[in-house]
Amino acid sequence: MRPQPPPGTPVPVCGMSAGGCDGAADWPADVSDGSSLPAVELPRKRKGDMEERLSMDCKMEDDLSRSEEEDQQVKIKCFREPHRQIEKRRRDKMNNLIDELSAMIPACQPMAQKPDKLTVLRKAVQHLKALKVGTSSAFADSTNKPSILPQDDLRQLLLRQAADGFMLVVSCDRAKILFISESVSKILNFSLLELTGQSLFDLIHPKDINKVKEQLSSWEYPQEHMIDAATGLQVQTDAPIKPTHLSSGAWRSFFCRMKHSRVAGKQEEKHQLPCTAKKKDTSRYCTLHCTGYMRSCPSSQLDSEGDAETPSLSCLVMLCRPLPHGSPQSPKHINAKPSAFVTRCAIDGKFTFVEQQATTVIGYLPQEVLGTSCYEYFHQDDLQHLAEKHRQVLRSKEKIETQCYKFKTKYGSYVSLQSQWFSFTNPWTKEVEFIVSSNRVMSGPGHIKDEEAGRLKAMQEEIPIIPSLSNGVGTMIYAGSIGTQIANELIDSYRVNSSPSSGASSPFGSTNEKCPLVSPPISTSASSGGGAASSSSQSDSRTAAGASSATADSSGQVSQLDLDGMVVPALSSFSSDEAAMAVIMSLLETEVNVGQPGDYEDLHWPF
Amino acid sequence: MTTDKEKRRAISREAARRRRRVESEVFEDLSRLLPLQQSVRDHLDKPSVIRLTLSYIRMHTLLTGKTGTKAEASHKVKCGQVTDGQMIRHEFNGGYGEEEEKERYDADASEETNMYLRILEGFLMVLSTEGDMIYLSENVSKYMGLTQAELMGHNIFEFSHPCDHEELRNNLRVTAEEVWSGEKRDFVMRIKSTLTHKGRSANLKSATWKVLHCQGRSKVCVAPSSVSCLLLTCQPLPLSHTLLSTQTFTSQHSMDMRFTYCDQRMTLLLGYSTEELLGRSIYDLCHTRDTNCLTKNHFNLCFKSQSVSGRYRMLVRGGGYVWVESHSAVIPNAHSSKSRPGANQPLCILCVTYVLSGVEEPSLQLSLDQTVHI
Repeated sequence: MRPQPPPGTPVPVCGMSAGGCDGAADWPADVSDGSSLPAVELPRKRKGDMEERLSMDCKMEDDLSRSEEEDQQVKIKCFREPHRQIEKRRRDKMNNLIDELSAMIPACQPMAQKPDKLTVLRKAVQHLKALKVGTSSAFADSTNKPSILPQDDLRQLLLRQAADGFMLVVSCDRAKILFISESVSKILNFSLLELTGQSLFDLIHPKDINKVKEQLSSWEYPQEHMIDAATGLQVQTDAPIKPTHLSSGAWRSFFCRMKHSRVAGKQEEKHQLPCTAKKKDTSRYCTLHCTGYMRSCPSSQLDSEGDAETPSLSCLVMLCRPLPHGSPQSPKHINAKPSAFVTRCAIDGKFTFVEQQATTVIGYLPQEVLGTSCYEYFHQDDLQHLAEKHRQVLRSKEKIETQCYKFKTKYGSYVSLQSQWFSFTNPWTKEVEFIVSSNRVMSGPGHIKDEEAGRLKAMQEEIPIIPSLSNGVGTMIYAGSIGTQIANELIDSYRVNSSPSSGASSPFGSTNEKCPLVSPPISTSASSGGGAASSSSQSDSRTAAGASSATADSSGQVSQLDLDGMVVPALSSFSSDEAAMAVIMSLLETEVNVGQPGDYEDLHWPF
Repeated sequence: MTTDKEKRRAISREAARRRRRVESEVFEDLSRLLPLQQSVRDHLDKPSVIRLTLSYIRMHTLLTGKTGTKAEASHKVKCGQVTDGQMIRHEFNGGYGEEEEKERYDADASEETNMYLRILEGFLMVLSTEGDMIYLSENVSKYMGLTQAELMGHNIFEFSHPCDHEELRNNLRVTAEEVWSGEKRDFVMRIKSTLTHKGRSANLKSATWKVLHCQGRSKVCVAPSSVSCLLLTCQPLPLSHTLLSTQTFTSQHSMDMRFTYCDQRMTLLLGYSTEELLGRSIYDLCHTRDTNCLTKNHFNLCFKSQSVSGRYRMLVRGGGYVWVESHSAVIPNAHSSKSRPGANQPLCILCVTYVLSGVEEPSLQLSLDQTVHI
């Protein structure tokens, strides 16, 4: 693997040197004291020996001169640092080590004053001797390689605690379990006795049996796929791999589900053996990652050093490690209460993902709402606040909580929801790609009463008709346009490097005059997106159709006028509620076709 | 006057030499007690002897210490199996033929452990809450080039990539604050390796970075002293020579995780054709609740160049989803011309994705892509 770094990112290069930093203090250099130990050979010789693995030229020389610290004449001068400093550092380091050591030794604890170096060392010797009493003889004997830990403890540490897996050896022909390590009892809750000698297929989830079969017999299987990581290309070998190749251990890696017993394995209370499980048995399965090697071994014994020339039995020696059970990793960002459902929208508010639980709440099946804008379901009372939150979430890295709002169900009634929104930003491009919403029901579904509906209608009648809106050239002003609009603000803010100046002359300057309901573009939005919100009064106006018809125009003035005809001021800029209501009503009820999304870039909106 | 001075100097020099000799003898005694091979022992300097002694003592404390907080039996079982180890040892103590049995037991354990470590394709690391590598299994040299004796007792921060230090620190801090043993850990870290292509060890100065996938748990001991540590298995993440079955597929992505290629198995398993996927983001194809998992994976790729995703759900074309796990790495773009290394070589992400389950809830359509009719 040799990834190269792209410019300007902290991706490390495998070929890049990681050395050269001062971490290598106190490498096991040669013991430099010449008195009772093997004589120190000439510096040059040793240096060649160790320096292949260690660095720090300076340190090397220091170590050699350490024993002569009080004898100034023999000191090898080091030109990098004043020798005094090096000495001091070394002394400090040694003192620290001695202090640490004395802290670990019980005998050194209760001393009144700090014990001297020699005493600590002597106590350490005694302590080690004491520790060795009663430990296994394999600890430091000659038959096994001595290791710093008793082998049994190491196994405990490894199998039970760190790695959380068990070892499994199965024969390749019939998947008979030849060996299984003790730790399986902790993971699958079956005992060794129950499993050894059984067929592995009794344990495996029925749907994974073929997969496992493939892994066991793949070396006979003609289609062998290897992947060459240097190029990322697949290498396909059609010839079966010969048995002689097995001795080097063909590697396997796969996932499978294995049965596990519910009750922790006490010998007496054993659950059904896997092979005697009834058909109706609702066994639970856990997913395991199995990795290992193919091996040849003599028929009756498990021998890891198998005889390659006469393989009597080939088997797979594996390590099986469980993955976390059941439901997905507890989502930190996504609030997952039982009565909640998760949805995902594109940045313009169109649903791209809806969980099935939503149906019980909103009545629609996911496929019925997918592709439609969430704004189509919002109640008019809530449009303003939700549009606000929409803007906010696109510019924030935090979760945004909405207030309670009404969501229109399939049956026309409204249900009260409250949502938590979070925008996903691509780690590479740093652009927002979608919004995740965790929605929960606040109270029972509410209905808009008839009187209310009547009142709304009355309000509508009172408001003077806005001439500009009815001059529609066949364009539809859609609730969804609010979302599209907000999304476009974001897209443009990505393209514009600097904050758009809010003082820029606005092509909508004339709008204010034309449309009496539009107040000056005072932004009440808290959005910080580079001042984009400040011109939101004009921005909401753009509909897909509007843009497309505008781009067709060559004359800037004319296009502006045409657009003005479709300008619908921003919700946030209204000074009166009634006015806002009027516009929203018109937004929702005007029947116009939505044209093709156009390219807004030519229009130079001042965002 | 000068002779006096010289005399005094000579005396003090002699005294110093005597002191040093005595000290060396004690160091020698100490190093002999450490279970190390003679060849290793000969090369130890004094600080290393202390370092390894410290490791030894700490590991001993860890293994024999009582785990969990209050000494409740259920907790002991839950938190640590160390007591089992102790019990087994006690069982074997005091008895005539049992010494041999113990030896055989340990020999078996040794073999199992070695096999285990080999299959694991990684090494074991025990970290103190300060980041000291209290213990490393012997095979660490196979992955890092440096040996167990050279590394043990040193601090992980000296060997890991500076950009990963924060994540490491977080993991260690949480460990220090923990009350129960057993909290799982899973993270990716870059570590120095002195191995060359040919597998030989080079100078530390020319060390390269290696990406390790570290998994494990915390371990808390209360008695005799309060000690917490992290037990980790560290595996390098290679992608080469992965044997792909019909349940595995590969895909390539640009650095923003948009598809640039996928093999035919993906079409078979998930129903999407290559053309449909090109340019689409992987995030669109997966269950929304797994966004975090994917994001973390993506981050690891951007900053550490390799990652293991953990389980997540990929939506199947006609409906439903499958559980998958991806092993990914950043590689130079295969389709670009071979430019000189170091030049601005375009990168891409290579993913090997294992399908873990069958298609779940096949009738369920959750995303926009699933609803588009073929």
